[in-house]
Amino acid sequence: MSIFEYNGSALVAMVGKNCFAIASDRRLGVQLQTIATDFQRIYKIHENLFIGLSGLATDAQTLYQRLVFRHKLYQLREERNMKPETFASLVSAILYEKRFGPYFCQPVIAGLGDDNKPFICTMDSIGAKELAKDFVVAGTASESLYGACEAMFKPDMEAEELFETLSQALLSSVDRDCLSGWGGHVYVV
Amino acid sequence: MKFDTSGLESHGQLVGASDGLFNGFPTAPSFEIPNTTDFDCFQKEAIQMVKPAKGTTTLAFIFKEGVMVAADSRASMGGYISSQSVKKIIEINPYMLGTMAGGAADCQFWHRNLGIKCRLHELANKRRISVTGASKLLANILYNYRGMGLSVGTMIAGWDETGPGLYYVDSEGGRLKGMRFSVGSGSPYAYGVLDNGYRYDMSVGEAAELARRSIYHATFRDGASGGVASVYYVGPDGWKKLSGDDVAELHYNYYPVQPSVVEQVMVET
Repeated sequence: MSIFEYNGSALVAMVGKNCFAIASDRRLGVQLQTIATDFQRIYKIHENLFIGLSGLATDAQTLYQRLVFRHKLYQLREERNMKPETFASLVSAILYEKRFGPYFCQPVIAGLGDDNKPFICTMDSIGAKELAKDFVVAGTASESLYGACEAMFKPDMEAEELFETLSQALLSSVDRDCLSGWGGHVYVV
Repeated sequence: MKFDTSGLESHGQLVGASDGLFNGFPTAPSFEIPNTTDFDCFQKEAIQMVKPAKGTTTLAFIFKEGVMVAADSRASMGGYISSQSVKKIIEINPYMLGTMAGGAADCQFWHRNLGIKCRLHELANKRRISVTGASKLLANILYNYRGMGLSVGTMIAGWDETGPGLYYVDSEGGRLKGMRFSVGSGSPYAYGVLDNGYRYDMSVGEAAELARRSIYHATFRDGASGGVASVYYVGPDGWKKLSGDDVAELHYNYYPVQPSVVEQVMVET
């Protein structure tokens, strides 16, 4: 199993009507052994910006700490919160700094920009941004997630329906993956 | 050094019957050697291909009333779950069970083959084969194919004239008699619960509950085990399936969720 599959993870974010939702599984494992069933993968950067980090858990935690540090500095200097697009560029730059010794993480960023326009994007482990208008996925269950989201997604869903759709997509995909599961955390903004 | 092919030749008799009863039915089906220059690496690749498939948890133990056999039902290929409903307890005949761990095809084929041999023994000798005999038959066949990439980790459990019998047989050619066994990637976790709760004089109900709990705990910790925990009992009248419970439901039965106060964070959008 590759280094990305060492801890196991499943992350997905979807866009709705003036809202977004981001969800992750809760399992932390060491290859096939389950260590914890309440592991947090999605972190809040500010009220309207969340980042989920899949892949190696230690890199995810370290990367999150560095990003929080950079965002707090930004808040002090600019006296406002970062826009999601700016934050995505920041994450991309930080990941590319480690081009030849990368963080083994794939971030999923979801936020509300100006005029409450939802923004989601994902990146590979060296910072290649992939902007999407509907949904983004990451983690060991990503192939199942692509299939489930493609089948269940509808544009302009309200928050309630978005929550249901996202939860169902996540649960059915992790049921087909040994390395992720044990429930999910869903954040709807 | 000439390559030693003596293990590949069909053996004359494996059962002992020397009358022409085995005409037309080969005692040890022989397979051709692959046409590669590097025979050693071919074996290694074949073994690596089936290695991930030992993701499973099976267990069996003897107690006062008979033998209890239990298994999960998940088949995994690396990280992908290919099925949640695999039958890992194979019914060799009405009084003998075999468990499946390792390559599914290997286990199913050789267990069915063993069932055929047991039936032939019954017809030739006018009485049922013992568990000792059946497990020896299987172990000898698997020893012939040792090193060729078969992946079988099975337990033969049954009830014969001497009482309950349990043997562990694997594709390396090993055969062990014992009272408690667990095979598969989830076996360390199952052993922990099984060894702790085991007593020889349990009732059928208590033994079934112990077996179910051991499988459940193994599926909790091991990512390659899951699905349905099936429990079978082998007694003097043969085997009987006792239960097949989804492990997710068992989780909420054993550890019900305490409703906790959830703080709702209202985000103004």
